[in-house]
Amino acid sequence: MTHNPYTTFTPVKTTKSYESAVAVKALSPWADGEASPIRGDIHQMQDVLSALDPLSYSRTRNHLGGAVTQLSPFIRHGALTLDHVRNLAIERAGKKDAEKFVQQLTWRDYWQRLYRRNPDMIWDDVEAYKTGFSPNDYADELPEDVLNAQTGTACIDQFLEQLMSTGWIHNHARLYLAAYICHWRRVKWQVGAKFFLTHLLDGDPASNNLSWQWVASTFSHKPYFFNLDNVAKYSGADINTKFNANKDIAGSYEALAERLFPYMEPRR
Amino acid sequence: MSAMIWLHEDALRSDHPVFKAAGEGAEAIFIWDDAYFQREGYSLKRLVFIYELLADLNITCLQGETEQLLESYADGRSLFIPQTPNPLFKNIIDNLQKKHNVTTVPDIPLVIVPDDVDLRRFFRFWNKAKKSALSPSTGPLL
Repeated sequence: MTHNPYTTFTPVKTTKSYESAVAVKALSPWADGEASPIRGDIHQMQDVLSALDPLSYSRTRNHLGGAVTQLSPFIRHGALTLDHVRNLAIERAGKKDAEKFVQQLTWRDYWQRLYRRNPDMIWDDVEAYKTGFSPNDYADELPEDVLNAQTGTACIDQFLEQLMSTGWIHNHARLYLAAYICHWRRVKWQVGAKFFLTHLLDGDPASNNLSWQWVASTFSHKPYFFNLDNVAKYSGADINTKFNANKDIAGSYEALAERLFPYMEPRR
Repeated sequence: MSAMIWLHEDALRSDHPVFKAAGEGAEAIFIWDDAYFQREGYSLKRLVFIYELLADLNITCLQGETEQLLESYADGRSLFIPQTPNPLFKNIIDNLQKKHNVTTVPDIPLVIVPDDVDLRRFFRFWNKAKKSALSPSTGPLL
């Protein structure tokens, strides 16, 4: 008797995400966490496409409550092509008004090309850190308080909580978290990138890791960092940006740079 | 003998060009590979999202180890696989090509630029790609 190296299964369409989670748990009992409220539902995806407004996106995309699309998980898994979204955006808004939106789509194309050309870039430092620190100065593990979304910096804890519970956060919040983990907590970007790939529904090694490298400064001319004023500027009332709850990230860029990168040489 | 399509996690839709390339009657399969998912560190959320996308596709779903399963399940059929940058998948494809007739099929591109285009920084790439990016393809709208 020969042994088949596989079993077959039939994915079932469910009305609630927790029903899908039960089915997945039966397949993969090792998997941790809960289902996301964002569902892999093609009809929902088409509803989002119907409402796509490239001009509004361009005007508000940097704001955490802006008109972003949440189409990225579908694009990540090939359920939707960049080509489709581009065609729709230009049809709806015209080339000029769709340009910013199309440029954002092109970022993904760019990351994928880099990945294809040089897969090693994905986990290795593309360039040296420009932070004044060497790779050995960065930790190999995420601190427990980050994993528990209890860093004591309120907005960071809210972003962490959203990432871990829904599997999606706004791109600006991703940059804040990456900068916080890399520069405030001095953790290797690879560790943070892996953490994001575990949780983000659109987690893609190319886009994710090279963006982390951009924040870390191993794929850019300087480290990306932010301050509380910047978070407050781009956040709605749902994010706690009170000074007393966010002292660690408060201050001028000059003061924070001095604190975070005391050995960084000024750029010539 | 009809062909077989390995529809992996980068290409979960039924109008990917791989279907046309493989021709009528090709059997499309997805492999639920726990070892792969665990190596990637996927949380339950990610698996649920993939599972829900699969529920919208009329394909054969199998649970097992990818390379071993592709070897045995192909059973002499030609294999058609969506192109992917994933090094693990590329390695599997390289190994399969030693024994099987394997064709990789690219997705519809967003931009058409020379293969050796400058990728050192995004905005250099954007300057080269902008014209193509802002030219709608003739592909179907959803």
